[in-house]
Amino acid sequence: MDHKRTILIVDDDPDILSTLEILLVANGYKVFSADNSKTALEIYQREQPDAVATDLMMEEMDSGFMLNYHIKKTAHGRSIPVIMMTAAAHVTGYKFDAYTSDEKEWLKCDALLNKPISVDMLIAKIDSFYEAKK
Amino acid sequence: MTEELKGHILIVDDEEALRTAVRRILELEGYKVDAAQNGTEGIAFGSAHEYDLALIDLKMPDINGLDVLKEIRKKHPNTVCYMATAYASYETAVEATKLGADGYILKPFSPDELLNSLNSGFEKRRWLLEAERLRKEREESLLEVAFERTRLKTIINSITDGVLVINKKGELAYFNQASLTLLDITYLPLGIPIIEHLPVEIGQMIVEKFFDIEKQTIAFSIEVSIKPENQLYIEATLSPISENDKSLAGVVVVLKNITEFKKLELLKSQFVSMVAHELKAPIAASIGFIDIMRQPGISITPEQKIDFLNRSHQRLQSLLFMINDLLDISRMELNKVTREIREVVVEETLSEVVNLFKVDIDKKQLSIGMPEEAGKHVIRIDQNEFMRIITNLVSNGIKYNRDKGSLTLQVKQDAYYTTVVIKDAGIGLKPAEKERLFSEFFRAKNEHTKNIHGTGLGLSIVKRIIEAYSGKITCESTYGEGTQFTLSFPIVYRLE
Repeated sequence: MDHKRTILIVDDDPDILSTLEILLVANGYKVFSADNSKTALEIYQREQPDAVATDLMMEEMDSGFMLNYHIKKTAHGRSIPVIMMTAAAHVTGYKFDAYTSDEKEWLKCDALLNKPISVDMLIAKIDSFYEAKK
Repeated sequence: MTEELKGHILIVDDEEALRTAVRRILELEGYKVDAAQNGTEGIAFGSAHEYDLALIDLKMPDINGLDVLKEIRKKHPNTVCYMATAYASYETAVEATKLGADGYILKPFSPDELLNSLNSGFEKRRWLLEAERLRKEREESLLEVAFERTRLKTIINSITDGVLVINKKGELAYFNQASLTLLDITYLPLGIPIIEHLPVEIGQMIVEKFFDIEKQTIAFSIEVSIKPENQLYIEATLSPISENDKSLAGVVVVLKNITEFKKLELLKSQFVSMVAHELKAPIAASIGFIDIMRQPGISITPEQKIDFLNRSHQRLQSLLFMINDLLDISRMELNKVTREIREVVVEETLSEVVNLFKVDIDKKQLSIGMPEEAGKHVIRIDQNEFMRIITNLVSNGIKYNRDKGSLTLQVKQDAYYTTVVIKDAGIGLKPAEKERLFSEFFRAKNEHTKNIHGTGLGLSIVKRIIEAYSGKITCESTYGEGTQFTLSFPIVYRLE
C-alpha cells in the first residue's frame, strides 16, 4: 500500500466518534468523521475514502442503512468495504448479521459489528475485504 | 284404598232421595261429595272444579245427562264420568261411550255395586292423571332440549372466538360466525372437506396430530398469520373429541384473535431493542476512552487524559440515571407507585425548583419570570412527583435555552383546571421533533443539542405522572424561538 488508508466514520455519539478516531489514527488510518448521515454523504463524495464505518441508528432508526444504500449506489462505493456498527443486533428478534452472501445482499453492507466495537475487529474486516479483492 | 286416593266426587241427579243416599254411602267411605240437583247445576259444578269422578243421571228434566257429560269433558277431560240410567240399552251405552263416558251404572244399584264401579273409575282416573303427567313431562323436556339447543347455538355464535367442529372424515360439522372472520373466509358450507380450506399449518396439524394417530388425548395450539404484517394473527387450539372407547370422533378447533397481542409483542421487542441501544451507547463510549488510555502505543496529553476520564464518568453517570428512570417507568406501568397525595402550593414548589438550578441559571445568565401572586394556587398531588415534573421541565428549559435567554413560569386557574406554564426562549423544536417529544428515548438531535446530556426518558415520565392525575401536558414550540409546556391539573372538588 503506497498511501495511508482513509476511513470515514459516522456516529451521532461524539464520545464514540472521538475515541474511534484516536484508535484508528493510532493504527495508521487517516480518519474523516461525521455525526450525521447527511454530512457523512458529503464527506464521502468529496474524499472517496477507502472504507466507511457507520452507526445504524442516528437521526432516524435506519439512517445507517440509508447512508449505506447511497454509498453502494456509486461505483466507488461498491469497491470499498462499508461496515455497519450497531448496539441493536440480536435483541430485535430479527436475524441480524452479515456473514453469508445472502445476508450481505439483504443488508447491502459488507460487515456488521456489534457495539461496543473492537477497533482490531474493524481493521480486520477492512483488511479481509481487500485481501479477498486481490 | 289408600288415603290420598279418596277422591272428590260429583253427583248430578234430579232425584233428591238418590242424591242423599249416594252421598251418605260415599261419605262413609271417606270420599268428598258434591251434589247437583239438575243438569245446569251439574255443568256449573263440573266446569268450576276438576272432580276425580262424576256420576251423572242420564235423564234429567232440564238437560240431558250426555250434554252435561260433554260440557264437563270440554273443561276437564280427565274427570272420569259415569252415567247412571234406569234404561240401560245397548244404544245408550254406545252413545255414552262415544261421548266419552267411562262407564254406566244401572239404576237402582246397591251400595256395593256403586262402590265397585267407582273403584274401577278411580283406577281409570289414576291412569289418566299419570298419562297426563307423563305427557306434560315429555312436552316440557322436549321444550327444554329445544331451548338448550337454541341457547347453546346463540352462545357459540356470540363468542368472539371462532369455533369449528370437524368430524373424523375431515368434514366440517359445525362452525360459528367468528370463525369465518378469523379465517378471512366469506362462506363455508357444512359437510365440505374442510382441511384444504384451513390455513396449511392448521390443516397439517389436524392430520398429523389427530387423524394419523388413532387415540389422541391432548390438545395442540398453533399461531398462524392470516393477513400479512400483523393485520390478523390467530391462535388455533385443536382438541380431540373422543368416542366412549377413546377413538377419535372429531376435532374441535377454537380460533382466537391474537393480533393485538402480536402488535404488543413487536412493540415490546422494539422497546427492548431501543433500551439495549441506549444502555450500550454510554458503555461503548466509556470503553472507548479506557481503551485509548490502556494502549501503550497511543500517547495522550495529561489534559486529554483528564478529559477522557471526565467524559467516561459523565457517560456512566447518565447511564445510571437512565437505569433509574427505566425502573421508575416500569414501576408506573405495574401501578406499583405509592402516592402520598396532599395539598401542594404550586408557587412554592416552583420557586423551590428554580432555586435548585441557581448555578446553571447564573452560568447562562437567564432572566427568570416567576408567577406574580405567590401562594395562591393549591393542587392535590404527591409532593415528590410534582417536584419531579417541575424539576424536569425547568431543567429542560435551562439546558435547551440560549445564553442570556429567558425562562418564564406562570400559574393560572379556571373553573376546571389549575394550569402551570413553563416557557423558555431557547432553541425550540422542529415540527417532526415535537411529535415524538413524549416518546421514550427521544431526544432532539440538532446542532444545538450535541453537548446536552439526558436519558431521553424525562418527558415520557413527566407525561405518565401527569396522566396519573387525569391531567394533561401540551407543548408549543417554534424552532429557533422557544418552547412552552402547559400542564393542566383538573381541580378536584371534594363533596362536603
